[in-house]
Amino acid sequence: MEICKLENIRKDYFMGEPVTPINGLSLTVNAGDLIAVEGPSGIGKSTLLYILGLLLQSDGGSHVFEGRAVSALSDKEKSALRAQKIGFLFQDATLIQALTLRENLLFSCHIGGKTAVCRKRVDELLHRFGLEDRADFLPHQLSGGQRRRVMAARCLIHRPILILADEPTNDLDEHWSVEIMRALQEEAQRGAGVVMVTHNSRWAKLAENRYDLHDGMLTHVTNKENEKQ
Amino acid sequence: MLTLIWKNIARRRSQAMLTVTITLLTVTVFVMVLGVWQTMRQGLALSRERLGADAVLLPKYAAADGGDLLFTAIPENIYMPAQVIEQAKALEGVAAMSPQFYAQTLALSCCEPGDEARIIGFDAATDFILAPYLEEGLDAVGADELIMGSNFDADYVGNSFLALGRKFRVIDRLQPTGTGMDSTIFMQIGVVRELCLASDTLNVDWVGKNPDDFVSVIMIKLEDGVDPQDFAKQAEEVGLDAQCLLTGDTISALQAQLDVTMRVLLALCLAFLLIAALSLLGRFGALAKERKKEIGLLRAIGVQRGQVFGLIIGEACAMALLGGVLGSVLALLCMQPVMGVLQEAFNLSPSVWSLRLALSCGGAGVLLAGMLGFVAALIPAAKSASLDPQTAITQGEVA
Repeated sequence: MEICKLENIRKDYFMGEPVTPINGLSLTVNAGDLIAVEGPSGIGKSTLLYILGLLLQSDGGSHVFEGRAVSALSDKEKSALRAQKIGFLFQDATLIQALTLRENLLFSCHIGGKTAVCRKRVDELLHRFGLEDRADFLPHQLSGGQRRRVMAARCLIHRPILILADEPTNDLDEHWSVEIMRALQEEAQRGAGVVMVTHNSRWAKLAENRYDLHDGMLTHVTNKENEKQ
Repeated sequence: MLTLIWKNIARRRSQAMLTVTITLLTVTVFVMVLGVWQTMRQGLALSRERLGADAVLLPKYAAADGGDLLFTAIPENIYMPAQVIEQAKALEGVAAMSPQFYAQTLALSCCEPGDEARIIGFDAATDFILAPYLEEGLDAVGADELIMGSNFDADYVGNSFLALGRKFRVIDRLQPTGTGMDSTIFMQIGVVRELCLASDTLNVDWVGKNPDDFVSVIMIKLEDGVDPQDFAKQAEEVGLDAQCLLTGDTISALQAQLDVTMRVLLALCLAFLLIAALSLLGRFGALAKERKKEIGLLRAIGVQRGQVFGLIIGEACAMALLGGVLGSVLALLCMQPVMGVLQEAFNLSPSVWSLRLALSCGGAGVLLAGMLGFVAALIPAAKSASLDPQTAITQGEVA
């Protein structure tokens, strides 16, 4: 089942001079996909995630989310889709500073209108990511790695159908990197579409589809089966 | 969102404290200025209502200031020939007329009030000024009896009181009038004349003169429909051996003086409000800027533009309202001693600064704080709500 589809997408910036990090890019994300996008820094990988996550409007091409043209969606509709169907794991450790870890997770659920459903899942994810004894801590009381794990929990808390992970293992040690990647794989197996951006080829190899972003377009590198062969 | 507003305030306490303090100080100043203004206005309105006399005849060349005469109890030893009473009777439009004779106690003598106090001799037969302020009405006042104004201690009533070396029994105490009467002692007019004649310590030399031939002022109540200005003109035209002071004019003059003073105070208050508004604008602007990334995150997890706007406005208003409530309470606490000073300086009735007026001023302070918070947060909130989420998160970099 197709979750979203980008066709011939272009994104322009003007940073003193015109920059087009995405130019003629096409990508389809289906339910159960685990996609890795690789490429050097500043090439536009995060821009691609922002477009997929309805945070950034493309300047050309076609973007369809669950069968609806994104260009026709209002800001309110896009917000609602982000709240209910999309999970972000940002590159920077970004949390709401005035809320404890538990409150950060519950707030995300509340925005998506799933507070009651999420309560049990909050404890489950805090336990899974080794944060149960930090549940009532504020973000500034945590290490970078702990904050990254909270962000992973927040990304998964409302069971999104599209997960967008930007360098998901940043700041994490081996154990928690493996745990996060395992969680992303499980979400894909559950039926979510997962797109992750990474520099780490070890994690990229776990994906069924690997792409290299170059000159604004995606080049299919290989897939897991090929890698095994 | 309400929870987030509350947590933002409670857990970013030092930032919130600064905002609350700015609002608190602003509202304190505002409520106090408003309180003083309203008290003075109502005090004057009450005086106008209660004064009783429409006109006062006083010695032609007396340097007595109308405001001092009516609203303070500053002793004014002024006298004019008693035949003015007969002249005044010939004037048209007079409904009632009552002469008064002024004297004063001496300062700091044993068993007398600490400061100089005005003694007024009144004519019980014609008086229309005192009776409305006596619970039991005005009965005959004996030669060894007196009535006190409301500023004197209630314990005096029923006890003896020494005035100008003579012992009197205090038979009653006036209800507050908001005028100089509150600090005045009232006796029979003949008794005051006797005291003046017998005293060798007063400033006025009565040697060779008979106080019975003099009065200090004549209080005049006009018939309904008579224009006080016409009456004053008539008094001048008939060559009355006295000057005519219209109480309404005096109150209006005081009102005008008060208005000028209050305008200056209000202008300063408005300048203070403007500074506070700019400070709050800067505070909320900084708040929105430092949370730019967080706002980007909120948008990314599905918070709508309107909700971001509401978050900033709600937080600003909540802090401002908290400052407003605290500032109002502080101002009302500070108003107690301020009112004491004002009541003493202007002889205001204590009833003027009522609970209702205090609550109105406090309420206005809280309302002002809320508005201040709302207005100061409008631009930062609108900017935050219109932020592009991706720009907010990445600070505009090409990621």
